[in-house]
Amino acid sequence: MTSIRKNKLFMAVLYALVFFMLAEWLTPVIVLTATGHKALFLIFVAAGLLMAFLRVPWWFSGPLKTLYILWFIVYVYTGNVFFTGEAIAFLRTDFGLNFSALMSQDWAGTTDVFRTVLFFVLLWMAIYLIHYWVSFRLSIFLFYLLTVIFIAVLDTFSPYSGETAIIRIMVIGLLLAGLLHLARWMEGHRILERTDKLAMFAVPLVLLVAGSTALALYLPKAGPIWPDPVPFITSFSGQGGVGSGGNVGRIGYGVDDSRLGGSFIGDDTAVFQAEVSEGQYWKVESKDFYTTKGWELTENVGESFVYGNSETVETDFVLDEEEELESAQLSMEQGFPFVLYPYGTESFTMEESLDYQYSTADQRFETYQDGEEFEPEAYEISFTEPSYSLTALRDTSPEELAELPAEFDRFLQLPDELPERVGDLAAEVTESSETVYDKTRAIERYFSTSGFEYSQSDIPVPEADEDYVDQFLFETQRGYCDNFSTSMVVMLRSLDIPARWVKGFNEGELVDSDGDTDVYQVTNNNAHSWVEAYMPGVGWMLFEPTIGFTGASAIDFDLELDADDPEQPEEQESPLAEDPETAEEEEAAVASGPSFWDRFTDSISANRWKILWTLVGLVLAATILFKIRHRWMPKLLISYYRRGSGGTARFEKAYLRLLKQLELYGINRRPGQTLKSYAAYIDSFFGTREMSKLTEAYERTVYGGDEESVDWPELRESWENLINRTSG
Amino acid sequence: MNAKERLEQVIDNIEKVIIGKRNIVELSMVAMLSHGHVLLEDVPGVGKTMLVRALAKSVGADFKRIQFTPDLLPSDVVGVSIYNPKDMEFHFRPGPIMGNIILADEINRTSPKTQSSLLEAMEEASVTIDGVTMQIPKPFFVMATQNPIEYEGTYPLPEAQLDRFLLKIKMGYPTPKEEMEVLNRARSAAPIEELTSVISLNELLELQEQVKTIKVDETIRSYIVDLSRQTRQDSYVYLGVSPRGSIALMKASQAYALLRGRDYVTPDDVQYLAKFVFGHRIMLRSEARYDGITAEEITERILAKTRVPVQRLVGQ
Repeated sequence: MTSIRKNKLFMAVLYALVFFMLAEWLTPVIVLTATGHKALFLIFVAAGLLMAFLRVPWWFSGPLKTLYILWFIVYVYTGNVFFTGEAIAFLRTDFGLNFSALMSQDWAGTTDVFRTVLFFVLLWMAIYLIHYWVSFRLSIFLFYLLTVIFIAVLDTFSPYSGETAIIRIMVIGLLLAGLLHLARWMEGHRILERTDKLAMFAVPLVLLVAGSTALALYLPKAGPIWPDPVPFITSFSGQGGVGSGGNVGRIGYGVDDSRLGGSFIGDDTAVFQAEVSEGQYWKVESKDFYTTKGWELTENVGESFVYGNSETVETDFVLDEEEELESAQLSMEQGFPFVLYPYGTESFTMEESLDYQYSTADQRFETYQDGEEFEPEAYEISFTEPSYSLTALRDTSPEELAELPAEFDRFLQLPDELPERVGDLAAEVTESSETVYDKTRAIERYFSTSGFEYSQSDIPVPEADEDYVDQFLFETQRGYCDNFSTSMVVMLRSLDIPARWVKGFNEGELVDSDGDTDVYQVTNNNAHSWVEAYMPGVGWMLFEPTIGFTGASAIDFDLELDADDPEQPEEQESPLAEDPETAEEEEAAVASGPSFWDRFTDSISANRWKILWTLVGLVLAATILFKIRHRWMPKLLISYYRRGSGGTARFEKAYLRLLKQLELYGINRRPGQTLKSYAAYIDSFFGTREMSKLTEAYERTVYGGDEESVDWPELRESWENLINRTSG
Repeated sequence: MNAKERLEQVIDNIEKVIIGKRNIVELSMVAMLSHGHVLLEDVPGVGKTMLVRALAKSVGADFKRIQFTPDLLPSDVVGVSIYNPKDMEFHFRPGPIMGNIILADEINRTSPKTQSSLLEAMEEASVTIDGVTMQIPKPFFVMATQNPIEYEGTYPLPEAQLDRFLLKIKMGYPTPKEEMEVLNRARSAAPIEELTSVISLNELLELQEQVKTIKVDETIRSYIVDLSRQTRQDSYVYLGVSPRGSIALMKASQAYALLRGRDYVTPDDVQYLAKFVFGHRIMLRSEARYDGITAEEITERILAKTRVPVQRLVGQ
């Protein structure tokens, strides 16, 4: 194989083209990540390729490249042009930092210098790979194709504009591929000494590429046949229509809920810290009037009560006299003119003397000092977690709903424009549930079992003629707490179950724990909304329909069962455990809703693009791996057959494996061809004698039944030699 | 000295007089070792007689020759009982068949009656005359020659009788170089006279026994069966290879393996011998003759398409 590769001029041209191709990779990466110092990176690439071209031995080129990387770090991070004492000290401390960060698996603790080194290592590997492709395989097509895909994807999905880059890549790639094909062709026909022929073929190739490129550049071009795929793709991810999802809000507690929807981005600004024995949902207020777009508060309803410090307050949640009072310490980091309170609040205490004004309209405790709005900084709350009697919940018959007093009417309000299918769905979901409680639980569960998806991005705002709930239930099925809680309230109301929409914060992040007391950090990300529904004969109860939130179970449903119920004790142990009968009913409720098959198909269709692309990707990857299996299989086979003891059985397997590999390599055995004649052909093809040797031993074992004569460890060498040749 | 070396000695010995026909000599040995008989089909003067004589001399066997003519009678082959007036009894005079190595020359020139007397003797290795059965001495090896069947004045052998020959071989003309060598040797005294035996008849019988011990693996047996079955299914074939043909191929392969110094048969042995074993056992339809297809070509085709067994059968 002395060859074309010895032709320095030809190879120099190839390496120059490769350099330009690599530069096309580097440019968008540097532009998009705002890395800078493009020239210095390019010098690294050029130097790497030059050394590969000159066949500089690794023990020289390796240290040189390392030195360059170090110099780059020193220059870029410290501004020193030379390795001064300061620069070396910087390198040393930085190495120490990164090393300890890596050792302690603190990935975020690594510095930019470390990432720079990684980037250089990546470049180094890329240079080596391409050097291998060009110099040894004389093939660049795969890399060429990847470059085109890479630039096309970046051009489509990122701000990088590949308009001119793609032309440069086409020209460079075609030249490179053409020249390499020429080189392979000349090797194949053994006309290597005729280097004058090289020019004869190369010149027309260059002219052809130049001519066609020039022609393509100056000819008028048709517009794109496919529309820009980005809006198309985003429209599938729940955006509904183009333009409606443009307003991205910042998450947090807000006052105006009249127009819900739109995307949110996270905000981890701290709101308060809570010291409490167990995480709580912190309620601020509730709203009762659904407008088809959001929530408002009915005006001029309810009464106001004023309480003082440590005075027992009265909310809709009746205190359990038997339970011991718990205490929660809140220290605010954002000021609000009201207090946040857990379910079952008994009283508030604060250093300042305050008035807590409770309004039954929205259940908000506003804080006043001397008639002025006041933003408390820290306060203590006494509370007991409400508990509910399961027996009572089982008795919540729908008939009682009709007898509720008129003050509940505002919790049954529904807009006239509400599409009928919302009510139909609620009826369908709760069809097999008998009690009010079971119906409510059936709706609460409906979301997590019917292919709904939790997401804060790409959530549409309903158009003028659209209903917020209807859009979520039937079109997008994607959303965050507002979508889920609003939908549940509306569905409950359609069943004449009084319900209201509650705002506040969820338990937050556990940041510290001191025995009985946990410290929770609550940030704007924890702003949340949920549902309260009225169970006739029981009272108001909290429900959590949002996927991924555990509010309902964080509240301790301490089920008080009848004393004569034999299964009672275990149920009381765990807040999550449910009476078997209830569980059955709930299962029935779920089953009576969309069947398993429907939910399965729903979730399939909701994610069909993801699934499709994942499948396509997997199939593609598997196909490629399968197609090139003769390349990687030998390595696996050799290490597999090296392990384990010898023996005839192993030899036979290895031999048959070798036959398969040879077929993959492209030397087929005709059906009527005997092993001996096949072996002779293989040996003449590879210029070996090993296949005949192996075949003789194999024939002796299989046809001769002579199993003792095989010396697998000795034959293995020949076998490995042949297997290795098939990976070429 | 092992079997292979002894057999090679015999072949080398014969090669002293038969030039450039080692494969034919080998095939003759194969037939002799596996108790079979050979049908040589070729024009006169290519050394058929010389081959058989050299073979006989090399193994120290009794050589007889029967020239078949249209008027030859069965008794001329197997022998006749003659009344002796002196002791008033019939005395059996053995015919030329009662020898070790018989050259039956131009077998298709004689009447079917005489042909069948020879062929019966070949199959049974005994003759029955006047109700008395007499064993033919062992080893018994017949090499019959026939002129190509297109010639005038011949009685072609029926299929059933062709089946009794283990192999059908064509000698073919020597190459110019070989023919020069033949002329060169023919200038002096006939070299056949100087041949001596290199193994004894008993040694030959021992070798014949040894052939039976050569291992034919189940995979090889199934391969042979596959090949035979394929001949029966070919659209050009009127009558395919009989089970006796399968047995013949197996036995010949065993002998060939011994000749190659192996104690087991390989697919290569089977493939090599299939052409000689199947050639005269496949009866072609007239379409084949129109298309110019021969039995040898059919065999080649079947060999090319029948999958060679390369691994143990499942369950072994």
